[in-house]
Amino acid sequence: MREFVYLRPGSIAEAISMRCEHEGCSVLFNGGTDIVIQLRDRLIKPDYVIDIKHIDGLKKITFSKEEGLFIGACATMNEIGNNEYVKTYYPFLADAALSVGSKQVRNRATCVGNIVNASPLCDTGTPLYAADASLCISGKDGDREVPIREFITFVRRTVLKPDEIVTGVKVPYVEGLRGIFTKVARRREVDLSTICGTVARVGDSYRLAFGAVAPTPVRMPKTEALLEGKTLTPELIEEAAKLARTEVSPIDDVRASKEYRLDVVEVIVRRSLTQLA
Amino acid sequence: MEEQLKHVGVAYERSDGVKKVTGAAEYVDDIRLGRMLYADVVRSPYAHARVLSVDLSEAKKVPGVKAVIDGTDYKKRVGLYLEDRFFMIKPGDTAKYMGDPVAAVAAETREIARKACELIKVEYEPLPVVSNALDGMKPDAPIIHPELGSYKVAPIFYPKPGTNISHHYVLRKGDCEKAFEEADAVFEHEFYIPHVQHVPLEPHVAMAKLDPDGKLTVWASCQSPYAVRQTLSVAFDMPLNKIRVISPTVGGGFGAKAGTTLEGIVIGLARHCPGRPVKLTYSREDEFVNSYVRQGMFARIKTAMRKDGRILGVKNEYYWDGGAYTEYGVNITKAGGWASAGPYDIDNVWTDSYCVYTNNPVGGPYRGFGMCEIHFAIEQNIDMIAKKMGISEVDIRRINGLRPGGYTGMGEKMDVAGYQECLETVVKDIDFFTPSEQPKEPHKVRAKGIAAGWKSPSMPTNAGSAAIIRMNEDGTFFLMSSGMEIGQGAATVLPQIAAEVLSVEPSKITFCSGDTDHTPYEWQTVASRTTYCAGNAVKLAAEDLRDKVLELAQIKMGAVKRDLKFEDGYVVHKIYPERRVPISEFALGVSFPDGSGYGGPAIGVGTFTLENNINTDKKTGVAKHHPAAFWTMGVNGAEVEVDTETGHIKVLKMVSCFDAGKVINPALFSAQSEGAMVQALGTALFEELKLRDGKVLNKNFVDYKIPTADDIPELVVKYVEHAEPTGPYGARGVGEPLMVPGAPAIANAVYNAIGVRFTRMPILPDDVLRALREKKAKEAAEQ
Amino acid sequence: MKYKVNFFLNEEPMELYVDANRTMLNVLRDELCYTGTKEGCGAGECGACTVIVDGLPINACLVLAPEMDGMHITTVEGLSKDGELSPLQKAFVEHAALQCGFCTPGFIMSGTALLMENPQPSREEIVRAISGNLCRCTGYARIIEAIEDVAAQNARQGGAE
Repeated sequence: MREFVYLRPGSIAEAISMRCEHEGCSVLFNGGTDIVIQLRDRLIKPDYVIDIKHIDGLKKITFSKEEGLFIGACATMNEIGNNEYVKTYYPFLADAALSVGSKQVRNRATCVGNIVNASPLCDTGTPLYAADASLCISGKDGDREVPIREFITFVRRTVLKPDEIVTGVKVPYVEGLRGIFTKVARRREVDLSTICGTVARVGDSYRLAFGAVAPTPVRMPKTEALLEGKTLTPELIEEAAKLARTEVSPIDDVRASKEYRLDVVEVIVRRSLTQLA
Repeated sequence: MEEQLKHVGVAYERSDGVKKVTGAAEYVDDIRLGRMLYADVVRSPYAHARVLSVDLSEAKKVPGVKAVIDGTDYKKRVGLYLEDRFFMIKPGDTAKYMGDPVAAVAAETREIARKACELIKVEYEPLPVVSNALDGMKPDAPIIHPELGSYKVAPIFYPKPGTNISHHYVLRKGDCEKAFEEADAVFEHEFYIPHVQHVPLEPHVAMAKLDPDGKLTVWASCQSPYAVRQTLSVAFDMPLNKIRVISPTVGGGFGAKAGTTLEGIVIGLARHCPGRPVKLTYSREDEFVNSYVRQGMFARIKTAMRKDGRILGVKNEYYWDGGAYTEYGVNITKAGGWASAGPYDIDNVWTDSYCVYTNNPVGGPYRGFGMCEIHFAIEQNIDMIAKKMGISEVDIRRINGLRPGGYTGMGEKMDVAGYQECLETVVKDIDFFTPSEQPKEPHKVRAKGIAAGWKSPSMPTNAGSAAIIRMNEDGTFFLMSSGMEIGQGAATVLPQIAAEVLSVEPSKITFCSGDTDHTPYEWQTVASRTTYCAGNAVKLAAEDLRDKVLELAQIKMGAVKRDLKFEDGYVVHKIYPERRVPISEFALGVSFPDGSGYGGPAIGVGTFTLENNINTDKKTGVAKHHPAAFWTMGVNGAEVEVDTETGHIKVLKMVSCFDAGKVINPALFSAQSEGAMVQALGTALFEELKLRDGKVLNKNFVDYKIPTADDIPELVVKYVEHAEPTGPYGARGVGEPLMVPGAPAIANAVYNAIGVRFTRMPILPDDVLRALREKKAKEAAEQ
Repeated sequence: MKYKVNFFLNEEPMELYVDANRTMLNVLRDELCYTGTKEGCGAGECGACTVIVDGLPINACLVLAPEMDGMHITTVEGLSKDGELSPLQKAFVEHAALQCGFCTPGFIMSGTALLMENPQPSREEIVRAISGNLCRCTGYARIIEAIEDVAAQNARQGGAE
């Protein structure tokens, strides 16, 4: 690792001012499970590393039916996955959080870090896409909320400005929302997703979100429209599964072929809808 | 009458257990010496390129840098069987794989060393790349080693100067042409086994220090301190008594830590910083690219069958992708050729096995030494033939599998062969003829498969082992051998062998190993030879000590030697067992009433070189006597479940049965069997070093997956014991053979589940779905 | 620039000045000579560097040195008390759940953390808890058995109370 200055702000305001002061040469540091490796491999060469873990309130996870779920930026994957509210009202998100890396990694990695990284295959992305989550952002000009679908713009790109910090994720509460998270990887434990997806249902309304199929996680508007207001029958499920594969554009890479990914998208849609029927 | 064994065959706890569970075991990277320097290496970013110039000047200016070297520091080529590599590429010479060292730095910290490396300017002229063995065989292929004809080579290997072939192994037994003429059916199948890496959890590490008196000490995580010493002596033109190689705890080897790899680099640096230890620790990325990899291999097998299921003849072609240097790979090519008939009694065998230079990472020994690769082909070939001929895969093995009195592919007569018993044991245990119970989900299919395997050591026929055992004043012992504890259990098993001879608890024997100044010669800890070769030396050493003590006991006990024996720490009279003297009383000899003494401190010496282990006929490869020290054979069964929608294969159960000759420690035998099955499972389902024009695309654990605890099946371990006539207490080596049948057993089970044959490892979910799509399309077209 | 960190290592208070661009693993091994914690990949993929921080298993290779401030860290050296092996260490020896031993401290830390959190874990919980630890020698079966053995001991002790 190159040398850098390690900073530990005690408040959001302090963190923002550090970001402003060191614009272009600092990196925000949270669970560190990606950043330390990037530092080690010199993929990033910041002069300042700003560790936000000691800012008050960023570790909290709160829930009410009115406000929905709030996951603080520094809540770890294991804290999220084992949280009673998350397990009760958003089990698909809990499953996704607990599918990330190893137990050791989950004790450090955070959901917000996972989202800010903006990898197309981020495991906690698709449940949040399906649940219409928003990112809570603070910057020098104040606070704003951005829907997750607008937050991630491309592979490893987000709308976050240099002075801004994501303080947490808000997930609205929707009565009757049921969802299934599926991760298909080469190895069942401790692997990146070859494909990940969340299929959710509220009444006869459906939400399908997939990762590792495009530069960002995606929803499937055509398939959702096909299913809207209808009762699930085997024929409809089959039609939806076939349509779903036309809504994504995966690539060939070292982990799997495009064709495989398309097949698996179809399988996940079919299996999830069958389970939700 | 044979005496009951007391210590051999007992599941003693590992002698190194407590040290390892407390973190107290010291590995090379754990050693902290004063004024230690850290090394880093500049490596070729091209798979094949001429190094035009190396400019070290800027690196030398960095504060904290103590030595900067390039290839001009290395005068001589080295290599175990074929001296084809320099430890570092000289300016003007060619880098032959993406990672070939061209310069190195020793500095006060790792960070300074890295920074200095970045300041070394190297100019390259890229050259055309040979990216696989078949391309390397083509007449117009770029020649990677133009000077091959001038390399020093062991006389049993035959390089072809002017080509990329560094060894062409030939076996011609019987009359293969005739066998094919007389055959009722002929089959031809092709297989490909990609490169994999050993993945010892401890990456390679070495440290070297040159003392003012010219003594060079090397600490290395290595399987073969004596082979390292020999190589270093050649490379640096130093006498052997001036080089001391110490190998403390080794964090797994699997062959990767045989031979000599990074030691040569640290020594080059240490010579420039006398008195200061220089350490180089490989990163995981280095481990994947710059240590050893298992060679890729393409196999073509043509089989002549009689209609009753008898194999009349086989014609094998093996093309090994040896990588940039084949100093070790030539012998894997030979080993593959030796064993190419498999554990089958086949009268006519014709084999050509080629070791081919490519610009891929350096191929080297990997658990199985060619056997895992060839058996993925042999054992699927047998199943494919059985299916086509309508014979069961068990029967075809019953018909052709070796029996006592049968002959190997090289024409050796097998006095002992437990193959058939292993086969029946596995067939019974996995209930082979009862179809798998199918799961409820319609997209999941289960089935069983079997495969066999065998292996012999492929070592120099005169490879030697020595052991020394010393008795302390209290009747405890030091057992000194350079048979290395690399996880397999040598430090537990070798003392058990001595304990048996001396009739003392193994806990009374401390095992000392891995120091060429202090522990006696051992050729290498490879080839599954340690229990057998080092074990024989240990047994002889203990017998020597026992004999000497009994000589003294004659005097002290007034009895003749033939009536005395060792028993539970005493010398005991066989007829009058109440006449007994603690062995400790002979530790320093015997003393007489007049104060004089006789017989000195008790020490036993044992040396072992297998007698009449004779090379094969040079022209035909056929055995004149016994070219192999022993053959270890066995069978695996596997039950798998295939998800036909996602392509995932879950191995539900694996059964292993081997003929171990004699199991010295049943717990450690089982533990090794389990590890071997899971390692085989990894190669069958996950592992491949993905290469593109010599570049390794997945040199990390993110994209090179090995099995986790979640991937393991139910593991069942069995064994049979048909004593090896020349083995200590009848033992033969098992560590490597245990891994051999696992991958083909899984592949055969997958075929039985979904009717698709995978002739290439690993069988990935992607491959399964693709094959099922193709199968469906073909079936649709046929209708 | 050096950063002052105060932390507890195996219950002993420590005060140290560390560089930012080093990891907890570097500090433990190079500066404090606690070499029981191993580096197998330096990327959080193999688990050989697993330590317990504030009750939770983490990879020491993914923690920056200044982050150690305020932590309670347990390494493999802190498990045996007064020369007595911990129950899990004993079980590893009894079950021959180790071979080359390089991954062993990491497995023992993952297993210890699991048993602290849940004294009687199921087989599936054990497998999930150790799937971030790679072993190339054993095939894992004996490691799982060793942890199961301690879980069973805990069950017996729990029943006696």
